[in-house]
Amino acid sequence: MTKEDIFNIIKMNILKVLIDIDVNQIDINQSLKDLGANSIDRVEIAQDSMEDLNLVLPRVELGHARNIRDLVDIFHKHINR
Amino acid sequence: MGKVVITGAGVINSIGHNVGEFTEALRLGKSGVHTLRTIPTDNASVKIGAEIKDFSYIDYLDKLQRLCKDLYTRSRKILNNSNLSTQISSCAAIQAYLDADLINSNLDNDSIGIIVAGNNISQKYIIDNYKKYLKEPEYINPKYAISFLDTNIIGAISETLKIRGIGYTVGGASASGNLGIYNAYQLVKTGAVKACMCVGALADFSELEMKALSILGAMSCHRFNDHPEKASRPFDKNHEGFVFGQGSGCVILESLGSALNRNALIKGEIISVAAGLDGNHLANPCAEGEAKVMRSVLQDAGIMPKDVDYINAHGTSSPLGDVTELRAMRNVFQDSMASIHVNSTKSMIGHCVYSAGVIELITTLIQMNEGFCHPNINLDDPIDSYVNFTGKEALAEVKINYAISNSFGFGGINSSILVKRY
Repeated sequence: MTKEDIFNIIKMNILKVLIDIDVNQIDINQSLKDLGANSIDRVEIAQDSMEDLNLVLPRVELGHARNIRDLVDIFHKHINR
Repeated sequence: MGKVVITGAGVINSIGHNVGEFTEALRLGKSGVHTLRTIPTDNASVKIGAEIKDFSYIDYLDKLQRLCKDLYTRSRKILNNSNLSTQISSCAAIQAYLDADLINSNLDNDSIGIIVAGNNISQKYIIDNYKKYLKEPEYINPKYAISFLDTNIIGAISETLKIRGIGYTVGGASASGNLGIYNAYQLVKTGAVKACMCVGALADFSELEMKALSILGAMSCHRFNDHPEKASRPFDKNHEGFVFGQGSGCVILESLGSALNRNALIKGEIISVAAGLDGNHLANPCAEGEAKVMRSVLQDAGIMPKDVDYINAHGTSSPLGDVTELRAMRNVFQDSMASIHVNSTKSMIGHCVYSAGVIELITTLIQMNEGFCHPNINLDDPIDSYVNFTGKEALAEVKINYAISNSFGFGGINSSILVKRY
């Protein structure tokens, strides 16, 4: 699973949760908050992505992500362990 | 304290996705009962129900785009990834709000209230999430913490429609709808609000409830699985239990003063509402308790039994329930029974549980204003041949001035509403 694949999964879940967002406008350097996600949205997006990736991570790990790139990196690190 | 009128209605059920479609279906005597598709029936004896078919809340909201972009955007976000009852009940509420033309009124948002009728509304949603929890607890959607609550529907509707008056849920088992209307009526009558939405929540039953109710012997599950449209047969000698119905209805109750002030179209007047208990926690009905609430609405209004033209019966197709309700009616109306039209909407749409009272009030108003009585579609052989039941075809050219709508719930909960043509 490449970082590109992970980014695509996160993008799909962003679209699922934020519905009217233009998936082509999502920049990996943006934070979910920048895209208009509230606190529940952010947990939903991260969790749905973990489910798609078959990952179970302690929530405290996700707290370190400042933007989508960080989230991709965290997921990538755990998948390839 | 002034009069309380109805200025808006919205409905989504197994035979109509709005009031117009529902009206035509009532006239034609359409049945919404089919083999169940959305509730698992592997372990069940109950295989049939009146499910809503081919309704997408997303498609419904899409149609609002032209009308009100704000409402469309807000409601899409709120209902996304929510549960079935919140989605459908919200759509019924939006329909009623638009029907009452509240969107163009300058009624203060603080003077509009919301009552959601029903409790333990989202059972299937809860059970489906529990199954997910058993597989992997960490994947439980954080939104579940909010949306499992009955009050999620209040939050969704109040945010969608920007309503800021009084709001809460009212529970009464199968009598929830009427009790919700009872509360909305009091709030408007006392001036606590100028208008009040009463939303009958869609009952999201799971396979657990269906199984327990069939074990209790309350549901039809023997003779009609191959002909589901015949299963809901209130007051017929072959009745064998109720048929589950999916549906949500919403009525807007408003003070007459407010309605006249903004030139709202008035669909009827709520004259009186009565509620009472039997002192019984079980499911069996009680003729005295049912008679008491019917008598109360007449006495509170100062009208005689002979003045009533029509009764929308609770009529669930339960052998004991049907017999008891007729006994209660005879007790109150006696010789006047011969001139009162009686039907049960449940013959077509099944038992919508929490929203039954609201949907059946809407049915009463439709018949009142359109001048017809819908048929009792499966009434082949009535248990009482002296009651003036509408037959298997609709009765045209009927004049309904005063009408009663009954709802009775498990736990000895009884309610009755008296409505008058405006």
